[in-house]
Amino acid sequence: MNPVSIFRILVSLLCLLPAWPAHAHHVLGRPAYSLNEDSNTPPSMQVETQIGDYMVNMMVFPAFPKPGEQGRLHMYAALLDNSQEYQSYQGKVTFKVRDDGWFASAAEVLGTQEIDDKVYRQGFVFSKAGNYIVTAEFQVDGQPYIIDMPLRVGEPTRLMPIGVAAGAIIFVLVGVRAVQRRRRTHPKAKRPHEAARGEA
Amino acid sequence: MSFLSPMSWDWMLLPAEGMMAHPGMPAGWVEMVLAGILFMVAWAIWIPVRSDPQHNSLSLAHLPVIGHVVSKVLVVPWLLLVLRIVVAAIFLLAIYAGLFGTPLPERNLATMLTWTIWWSGLVLAIFFVGSAWCAICPWDSLATWLVRRRLWRRGSETASLNLHVPKMLRSVWPALLLFVGMSWLELGFGVTVSPYATALLALLMVVLTTVSLAVFERKAFCRYFCPVGRTIGFYSELSPVALHPIDPDICARCTTLECYHGTADVEPCPTHLVMGRIKQNTYCISCDACSRSCPQQNVAWRLRNAGEEIIQAAHPRWDEAWFILGLLALTSFHGTTMLPAWERWMSTLARSIGDSGQLLWSFSISMGISILIPVTFFALMTLLTQRTIAAKPKYRRVFSALALSTLPLAFVYHLSHNLGHLVRESPGIGQVILNPLGSNTQTVMCTQVEIRHSLSAIQQDTIFALQAGLLLLGFWMAVRILRHRITRVLPNTQAATGGHILPMLTFIMAITLYNLWLLMQPMTMRM
Repeated sequence: MNPVSIFRILVSLLCLLPAWPAHAHHVLGRPAYSLNEDSNTPPSMQVETQIGDYMVNMMVFPAFPKPGEQGRLHMYAALLDNSQEYQSYQGKVTFKVRDDGWFASAAEVLGTQEIDDKVYRQGFVFSKAGNYIVTAEFQVDGQPYIIDMPLRVGEPTRLMPIGVAAGAIIFVLVGVRAVQRRRRTHPKAKRPHEAARGEA
Repeated sequence: MSFLSPMSWDWMLLPAEGMMAHPGMPAGWVEMVLAGILFMVAWAIWIPVRSDPQHNSLSLAHLPVIGHVVSKVLVVPWLLLVLRIVVAAIFLLAIYAGLFGTPLPERNLATMLTWTIWWSGLVLAIFFVGSAWCAICPWDSLATWLVRRRLWRRGSETASLNLHVPKMLRSVWPALLLFVGMSWLELGFGVTVSPYATALLALLMVVLTTVSLAVFERKAFCRYFCPVGRTIGFYSELSPVALHPIDPDICARCTTLECYHGTADVEPCPTHLVMGRIKQNTYCISCDACSRSCPQQNVAWRLRNAGEEIIQAAHPRWDEAWFILGLLALTSFHGTTMLPAWERWMSTLARSIGDSGQLLWSFSISMGISILIPVTFFALMTLLTQRTIAAKPKYRRVFSALALSTLPLAFVYHLSHNLGHLVRESPGIGQVILNPLGSNTQTVMCTQVEIRHSLSAIQQDTIFALQAGLLLLGFWMAVRILRHRITRVLPNTQAATGGHILPMLTFIMAITLYNLWLLMQPMTMRM
């Protein structure tokens, strides 16, 4: 590959970037989420992010809920402006949940909540362990605001990874042994480079 | 307010409220580094290249007391075996902790040991002991014991299929792809803050190593596929320590090549090296098989000038040059993702492309751009360099030769960055060792983190001094390598001038200044 070709490829890739479809700010994913603990609350999983004109903070209590255990979501949405006064979003917020997987089912509505002392609260109980995406949705001037947050319910499968790893290793080792036995019983199948090595 | 005034950038660079961050390097040290860089640039441009650089080396076997110990240690198998068993046991404990312990990363042995101690400390270890980690690597130890079914003696030939690695895989492209993949998992997927995912990754690496050992001849995984091993291999070219023949003449007369073929008890070189002909240690995994198999006991650790190997002997191939550039791009990208503003950048990008969920698209695009920018810049500077040479050498040749000069930049930034993490975040490891599963523990609060920092063995100013010194050392090594490597692509009759090195010197300066800027910024704590 000559340098001109390399530059063509690199420049083409760079040119593609500005052409990426741009949407309005109403759709937002989540940044890295973190564990938080202060003196007043139990450990929570939380996400804090700017979305449109709002700074949104969403928390899940407890941080690692278990199936059948009562948990709750808290959401704060503070208007970003230059005033010193805290101004919260005042409309309704809908909380939804869906499976976090490649073939996820449709989202299920957990509830629609109104503000209560600057916070939106939504209780939940998950019957099954798994990975879920919890979504908070609200509208400002007709534009939808969506915040996603991952939630692990229950403990992940612990023995399965060990079983899969051990199974893969055993499968390969048994396979190798079978092939070698076949090689011994069928000397003609010996690979040419092995024959050469043997002679050397 | 001017857009470029410092105030207008505060929202991008300062940590969000409540976010814990390491402080950035103060202005005094930055000025010292800048002054050093300017001095070295002037030196590089105006002082002519000496055609025959001095090369000093000393075999540790020749030292009065230590020499005897070094020679003995290298030929007894049990010492290495004990180390391997200990490391493998700790590794298995970390997997167990990851699968069965607390999901709090700062309380679990899997995440603390893997990412704070091992991953951060590994690069520091390369500086002092070269590729010695590979000799006790638990992935390889477990795979070897499983496949060869021997603790240390040579295993049966029939334990593996001993197939040749397909020609298309006989390069470091697979390792580069895996390295990019591991960086994506580490920084994008967030495996560093998940003990469970860390344990899964560890298991995956053991499976890959075992499968490779069972199918391919010798240790193909170590030579071609292992992203960690290849990183260690390239960095160890800069290390002042390497395994080498004690007396090259003995190797020159050797006709039996036990180091390559092995003996009845000792494995052959796992990466197909002949110790007597070794010019560069990139693929040496310090397993000591050569020192144990050599009938003359002619292999020992050697002290040498840091970077000497690259200046004199290294001949990187096209794929190796790309691996080095990948290292360079990914180390700086690593630092970029730990800027407090990174999450805001991710949010902004996610909004513009409509990304949702874990922002993996946003991260992947950012990662792609972060790799593309330095690589494109390097490719452009290589083209300019090629244009300055009247004989017009092949582009690939110039590209590969000059890529070596960027290796110290990646290495010293990696060292500086990891030094901060290791020193500031490792004091909590004691509690984790006492309670590896983190049973009945809570998250570490900010006050506890501050207490941990106060317990740090190295003071803040010392860390800044070391980081500044390392950046200067890296810049000096890069310039030195550049001055000597450029002569390799010039015709014999042509002497290297400032004009020949100027394009690549610009690249080296730009990368160093960016890395310096990264070190000036507050750095988000890993855990």
